[in-house]
Amino acid sequence: MRLRILGGVIFLFYFVTVLGLFNAQVTNYKIYRGLSEKNRIRILPLVSPRGKIYDRSKKLLVSNRIAFTVGVVYQELGDKEKILRILSDKLGIPEKKLSGKIEEAGINPFVPYSVADEVDKEKAIQLEEMKYKLQGVIVTARPMRDYLYGEKLSHVTGYLGKISKEELGKFRTYGYMLQDLVGKDGLEREYNEYLRGKSGGLQVEVDSKGRQLRVLALKEPAEGKDLYLEIDLELQDFCNDVLGEKSGAIIVMDPFTGGVLALASRPGYDPNAFVSSESAGEVNKILQDRALYPLLDRAIACAYPPGSVFKVVVAASVLDTGKLNETKTLFCGGSYRVGNRAFKCWKKPGHGTQSIREAIKNSCNVFFYQLGFIAGTDLLAEYARRFGFGEKTGIDLPGESAGFVPTIAWKKETLKESWFKGETANYAIGQGYLLVTPIQVLRMMAAVANGGELLVPHVVDRIENVELSQGKPQKIDINGESLEIIREGLRMVVNDPHGTGIYGRVKGVVVAGKTGTAENSLGKAHGWFSGFAPFEGPKLCLVVFVEHGGKGGVGASMIARKVIEKARGLGLL
Amino acid sequence: MNGSSKRQLGKFDFVIFLATVFLSIFGLFCLYSAAAQYFSKAIILRQAIWLLAGLLIFCVALFIDYRKIVNFSYLFYGITILLLILVLAFGQTRGGSHRWINLGLFNLQPSELAKIALVFALSTYLGHRKRDSEKPSFVVGAALITLPVFCLILIEPDLGTALLLLPTALALLFIGGAKLRYLISIALASLLCVPVFWHFLKDYQKERLLVFINPNIDPLGAGYTIIQSKIAIGSGGIFGKGWLSGTQNTLNFLPERHTDFIFSVVGEEWGLLGCLVFVFLYCLIVYRGLRIVSLTSDIYGKLIATGFITIFAVQSVVNIAMTIGLSPVVGLTLPLVSYGGSSLIITLFSLGVVLNIGMRRSLF
Repeated sequence: MRLRILGGVIFLFYFVTVLGLFNAQVTNYKIYRGLSEKNRIRILPLVSPRGKIYDRSKKLLVSNRIAFTVGVVYQELGDKEKILRILSDKLGIPEKKLSGKIEEAGINPFVPYSVADEVDKEKAIQLEEMKYKLQGVIVTARPMRDYLYGEKLSHVTGYLGKISKEELGKFRTYGYMLQDLVGKDGLEREYNEYLRGKSGGLQVEVDSKGRQLRVLALKEPAEGKDLYLEIDLELQDFCNDVLGEKSGAIIVMDPFTGGVLALASRPGYDPNAFVSSESAGEVNKILQDRALYPLLDRAIACAYPPGSVFKVVVAASVLDTGKLNETKTLFCGGSYRVGNRAFKCWKKPGHGTQSIREAIKNSCNVFFYQLGFIAGTDLLAEYARRFGFGEKTGIDLPGESAGFVPTIAWKKETLKESWFKGETANYAIGQGYLLVTPIQVLRMMAAVANGGELLVPHVVDRIENVELSQGKPQKIDINGESLEIIREGLRMVVNDPHGTGIYGRVKGVVVAGKTGTAENSLGKAHGWFSGFAPFEGPKLCLVVFVEHGGKGGVGASMIARKVIEKARGLGLL
Repeated sequence: MNGSSKRQLGKFDFVIFLATVFLSIFGLFCLYSAAAQYFSKAIILRQAIWLLAGLLIFCVALFIDYRKIVNFSYLFYGITILLLILVLAFGQTRGGSHRWINLGLFNLQPSELAKIALVFALSTYLGHRKRDSEKPSFVVGAALITLPVFCLILIEPDLGTALLLLPTALALLFIGGAKLRYLISIALASLLCVPVFWHFLKDYQKERLLVFINPNIDPLGAGYTIIQSKIAIGSGGIFGKGWLSGTQNTLNFLPERHTDFIFSVVGEEWGLLGCLVFVFLYCLIVYRGLRIVSLTSDIYGKLIATGFITIFAVQSVVNIAMTIGLSPVVGLTLPLVSYGGSSLIITLFSLGVVLNIGMRRSLF
């Protein structure tokens, strides 16, 4: 009897064991199978270099360099003290900081963990040569973005950053991973999908020590596509230099294709700072500069009052509708009374009797106040829209502002106020609620130069070998004679002895353009100059905007002259 | 061969013998796979030689009348105690414990020997005092014989073997006819001793026991083995990954897989079916062993066979249970399969004795 009990107890234990085996091998088979695969298979990402960026003459602007990373596999580390000493000495990192990093590596002891991100080539080679002393230390190379001209192209190229949580959520299906870098601004952002290429990976079988035994599968990384820009590096470089310490923007564009030859916005920033994990301080400085906002692209993302460059639109509105003809003269006595308030011309004694051409040349405010009333507020807004204000130009850069074109209805609805007569006068000289971006002004000027085509400006000419189909230019609904009259006026601005833009004159080339001085509540007036050259058969148009730069007829015009001279020297004219 | 030995041969339990040989050979294959990548293949050769030596001792155990051994039980017991003291004083240290005595040709593990000595000594004692089985002194005497061996092995430390002695002694007392009341008191008393006992454990032993409760408290240290072993066995599924193809095994994720954790290799490469074959063979041996106990009228033979079968059963159950996390990792080998000469030879010897008892049962 007792023997039966003993046997029963023993077989009960065997039975429980069999249940345990069944539970592990049948019920939970999938879990354990997955865990065993995870044990032995490691995915090694193969980073694909981002596409390069070239200028119009195939000069390299943005490239990738090899960066060396020093990592440790905690489990494999030999004499920790000794390794710590050697690494600290070679890398120039204090032992304390380094040992902290090595401890962090202990969290996942079989996986390589980076302790120093950017190690220069010589040091990397030295460490590689000492490999026998440094068991568990690995040196790897990876491509790193290199902005060859840093600050000079910052607002064109943009910069890269780690993908954000929201972006990751949105783009995970496109194969992005947590550590991926994505374009955060500029072309890097706009053309991210083309530039980034596809990361590949190696599926490797490893043993318990993390030793790689054999490759199970390989997915080749696909390199990113290269961008070829319309930008001319030398002209871009020059535009940056000519602005110097001033805040502002210069854009140079082909008036027929919309290809952007230069797009400079000052101040700039060094996009390389965002690449390196060791320049966090510099990045913070860029991000927190509340005085200059270097990340702001003043060429496309900021809207300002246009001042007198808007007179082009005002002139077009009355000429095109036949409310004024080219011979009709109006009188300027130095000021103009609206209601009980006198609106002054910039020239105290007044300009006397002028036709519209002369008024453009003189940039006569009194003449244009009157045009404002002849046209009426709504017609001014209508023509502002026809010339592309109040909407984005569609340039292939992110963060563009649409500016703002006010109307009587808008004021009533939003500000709950009725429109004052005086505001129409101000509207006509480009002041008041009206806000425009430099790229919009440039597009307007290009339309005047090319006979009424509203272009879509673009920075990128082609991706690898694929020409980009550029947005179709819109034909502005305006008759050719009106534009011809305006063009004539613009020519006189620069070339007439009494023109307001005489500082923009270039020897041997007939330049046409319009100056502007935009009063603003923030300080000194902004200076504008926008024009095109040569007058007959224009090859380029440009806009110069100087934040708080004073009279556009002086500073901005002089800058424009230098830029045109430079372009001429480069054979772009 | 005379008439009586023919009769004896007729009672030779071929089932136990074949199951034993089959397990040993199957075990060699598993060991080959476990050693294939990361250990020298020499261990297969060594294990094979030990297997042959063990089979020789198995035969010797068959043909020497076990009653003659009974006469030397206490002497054997005394020598074992001496060896256990010697090993504490002069033994080789491996992994923090003194378990081996170097005998030149091989390393002797006295705790393995102690299992046999204790079974013989207890059986002899309990057999002698058969008539007093109702008395408390019957139990006390058995406890006095067991405790010195238990304590000496515990401080080696060899927790698994020490703990193995307790159910063995209990089984002998149970079959020997001790009063249930006393047995239950002993069991309760040992439970009360657990806190004291805990105090004497080495840190790594405490760790192992704690890890049994929750392997994740130390997934890279003490818990690593259990986790990897469970992964190995679970991932084997029903049919296994095939001989030499277990990834946990061949890629070295399983520590101790040639010794205490050889069953993880079985589970991973041969799947549930292979495991069931193993468990079936162990059960078969235990079943046939208990059958011999029931057919034997000699009290000494009955007790000795009970002791050996209990050791065999407990060791195989605990070892398998430990590889799937059902039991703490206490360092018991899988009988007949784990790498190691002492364990293999002692197991074969004890099975030989059980068969010997079965062959001679009708002579009394």
